[in-house]
Amino acid sequence: MEFALRSGADAVRITLNKNLTDLVGILNGEVDKVSHSLDRSLQIALFVDGRYGAFSSNRLEKSKLEEFVLGAIGTVKMLEEDKFRKLPEAERKVKGVSTGMEPGLYDPACLDVDETFRRKMAMDLSLWKEKESLEKGFTILSEEAEYSDSVSDLVVMDSDGLYARHCETAFEIVSEFTIADPDGRLFSGYWWDSSWRLAGVDPSACARKALERTVEQMNPMAMPGGKYSVVVDSECASRLLSPVLSALGGFAVQQNNSFLADDLGRKVFAEKMTLVDLPLEKGATGARLFDSEGVATREMPVIDHGVVKTFFLNTYIAGKMGMEPTVEDSTRVKLMPVGECRDIAGLMAAVGEGILITGFNGGNSNAATGDFSYGIEGFYFRDGRIVHPVRELLMTGNFKTLWNSLSLVADDARPCLVKQIPSLVFSSADMSA
Amino acid sequence: MIKEKSYYLSIFGVDEALLAMLVNEALSRGGQYADLFFENTSYGNLVLRDGAVTTGGSHVDFGVGIRVLEGEKTGYAYSESTARADMIACARAASAIAESAQAVVDNATRAAFCGTPNPSADRYPVKEEWSSRGMDAFLPFLRDVDAEIRRRDARVEKLTAVLSFQETDVLMYNSLGELKWETRPMGNVNVSVVFRQGSRIENNSVSRSWRCGAEMLGPSLVKELADAAVKNLDARFQAGRPKGGRMSVVMGAGSSGILLHEAMGHAFEADFNRKGISIFADKMGQRICSDDITIVDDGTLKGNRGALNFDDEGVPGQRTVMVDRGVLSSYLHDRISAAHYGVAPTGNGRRESFRYAPIPRMRATYMESGKANPADIIADVKQGIYVDEFANGQVKIGEGDFTFYVKAGFLIEDGRLTMPVKDINIIGNGPEALRDIVAVGNDLEIDPLTWVCGKEQSVPVSCGIPTVMVKSLTVGGE
Repeated sequence: MEFALRSGADAVRITLNKNLTDLVGILNGEVDKVSHSLDRSLQIALFVDGRYGAFSSNRLEKSKLEEFVLGAIGTVKMLEEDKFRKLPEAERKVKGVSTGMEPGLYDPACLDVDETFRRKMAMDLSLWKEKESLEKGFTILSEEAEYSDSVSDLVVMDSDGLYARHCETAFEIVSEFTIADPDGRLFSGYWWDSSWRLAGVDPSACARKALERTVEQMNPMAMPGGKYSVVVDSECASRLLSPVLSALGGFAVQQNNSFLADDLGRKVFAEKMTLVDLPLEKGATGARLFDSEGVATREMPVIDHGVVKTFFLNTYIAGKMGMEPTVEDSTRVKLMPVGECRDIAGLMAAVGEGILITGFNGGNSNAATGDFSYGIEGFYFRDGRIVHPVRELLMTGNFKTLWNSLSLVADDARPCLVKQIPSLVFSSADMSA
Repeated sequence: MIKEKSYYLSIFGVDEALLAMLVNEALSRGGQYADLFFENTSYGNLVLRDGAVTTGGSHVDFGVGIRVLEGEKTGYAYSESTARADMIACARAASAIAESAQAVVDNATRAAFCGTPNPSADRYPVKEEWSSRGMDAFLPFLRDVDAEIRRRDARVEKLTAVLSFQETDVLMYNSLGELKWETRPMGNVNVSVVFRQGSRIENNSVSRSWRCGAEMLGPSLVKELADAAVKNLDARFQAGRPKGGRMSVVMGAGSSGILLHEAMGHAFEADFNRKGISIFADKMGQRICSDDITIVDDGTLKGNRGALNFDDEGVPGQRTVMVDRGVLSSYLHDRISAAHYGVAPTGNGRRESFRYAPIPRMRATYMESGKANPADIIADVKQGIYVDEFANGQVKIGEGDFTFYVKAGFLIEDGRLTMPVKDINIIGNGPEALRDIVAVGNDLEIDPLTWVCGKEQSVPVSCGIPTVMVKSLTVGGE
């Protein structure tokens, strides 16, 4: 940073990343893959003569870095001026977050994990030795599983005195099965879990859940197209919220490439839709005390009873739009429960008949209009009970319409997910089959 | 681009004796094969937004990946430093997969591809290296793109144009003693436009990408991007959703090749078949579709995003016929799957960067031209849909269920294109869709868009197809 300032930069922001990851993979009950990785990188944002550029390198030798920074400053000088590019104001920046431990997401147990332990955790994920006893009406063709642990460390500093650090450990497990039914039709399914605490993941439970989810998919049936009530599993519900959050992002709004660009302060969603950002919850997955500019995050309403309460505006975009900046992006949003149902079973019982969505197969949306179309994986349910899996089903609509039909929200968001979106009910959705 | 061997050895600070020593170290705890993959990528980008090029940057990614194979098991580690001690530590970490404690180089099951990289056979020759010019030389191109699209249509409200380019120096060495080297260029232009007509907003994104140098920038590319950005714009504002359900789908030439990539290509990647989890795992040598259909995965198309002189295991790039006149004739192999099946690798061992071990991946996947006239294919459809602009796709390998997202198309009614449609997903089953292709046009196009395949790792690919008719797929709608 000092070298860049001496070399002509007016202001500088540096982000340093370091990540150490080890992984053991299992295929059909045997260790199939081990990997070890150590990543380091330096990102440097340069503000030079009213111009701006963003650069990165993983060559951290002093001579290489100095050569890189000199080239970067030369590049920035070639660009056109942009008066809105500047560091955040001092009062917006995070303070007192210098050890990285403040969010409470670091487990010192990571220091005790060795190769033997990793192999044991990975092997504990495998049910292959029980294969014959598990095969009831199907054959297990393949079982893949992975255990990994990582430690990441991030420092953000700038030439106006910012210094902020975030440290985090992650322990992750995933199990995936492919099975064949008696007619030779294949079905695949998976389950995963993760935690910043080593004690927070359970390999055996993960594998059994993965197999259960695979077997459940056997004997799918086609459904007639039409309008259905849908229950969306918390495992995949965030897929339907992410485009809404993207539409609240500053770049999308400023470029008019957002179906919510004109809706700040307006009620555009269902009265029952309340979404809050909770980045400061210590020890919760996704907690983060500052954004990429070093701006302090804060608890804030995003959508309050259907009313859009905020856009996500960094210093640059806020300046261009003549608005007050907020934060770069959402951090750890939570959709607040609606009704008394706590889980999927309760939601299905309350709805009676409809489609339970447990996953999506492809699809996309139009950022400007909010129109979407997704492939659906899941089940038809009646009288609150699953009847059969569905096949080749598509859900098509518009996000404003869909979220206006939000009628129930359970309270079962998985702790391992950054976006805390519980299972939920939309009273009506168009299905094509 | 292929430079002198000494250039690559110098960049990574190694010599051939050190490479041999590292491979020996990697095999010191056992294993049958080891390889080294050195990478030095320089990446640059410029962004025009709101009429000015106000953002730019450059990025460097440097390191070496070391892999040990014991049978079909993989040990992998990488280092962002090529200092001798760091690479030795990396080799030891990769060796953790091996348990036999005895190195046996197994030449019987690992094909060797000897020979020196040949500049005269280079599939991505560069006339003007990206790094040979300052970034300021590229600013006029982005301004021209902005001006030309705004000149074409007054409804342009916002426009973002991004030029990104990279040069990747690669050096590969393995326990068979093979040493390969090359520089892989890539240039991409992506343009996003927001249009306003009254109170209605519509967007469109176009892109172009080739393995080439800065010579790709020029007036013809400006015109091509502008043509694509405003193509069918009136229809876009008029477009609606069809009534969803099963119907005939005519897929226009070019980007409809996404059908092959999602519905068939992934299922032909040999790692899925080796593990028995592909729906095509037991179909080798069998007829799987009409004899009008030949499907190819090709690394030999000069300047194409999927072109490769060598794959990331040092195997020569090549043209692989996966379906030969309706019969499944080859999977796409890396060295692991090739040894498993007892065949030669097909040059499909690819990786995102030195941080990843290679796995079987597609390159440029396309169907060869048939005999039908594209207009006749449309005329034969009583009720269906015509699609030729796509965003993304996905497949479930075991079940074979695939989807792809259609940005724009038209209804077909009584053999004619009628109502414009947009933003719909289409879903089908790979083997069924392949069997249901009932007409193949004579108009193969390889698509020039910036296609990226995201199977575990991101790699550049491309696709192509002539106009085809699929008898029945499920189309999203209202």
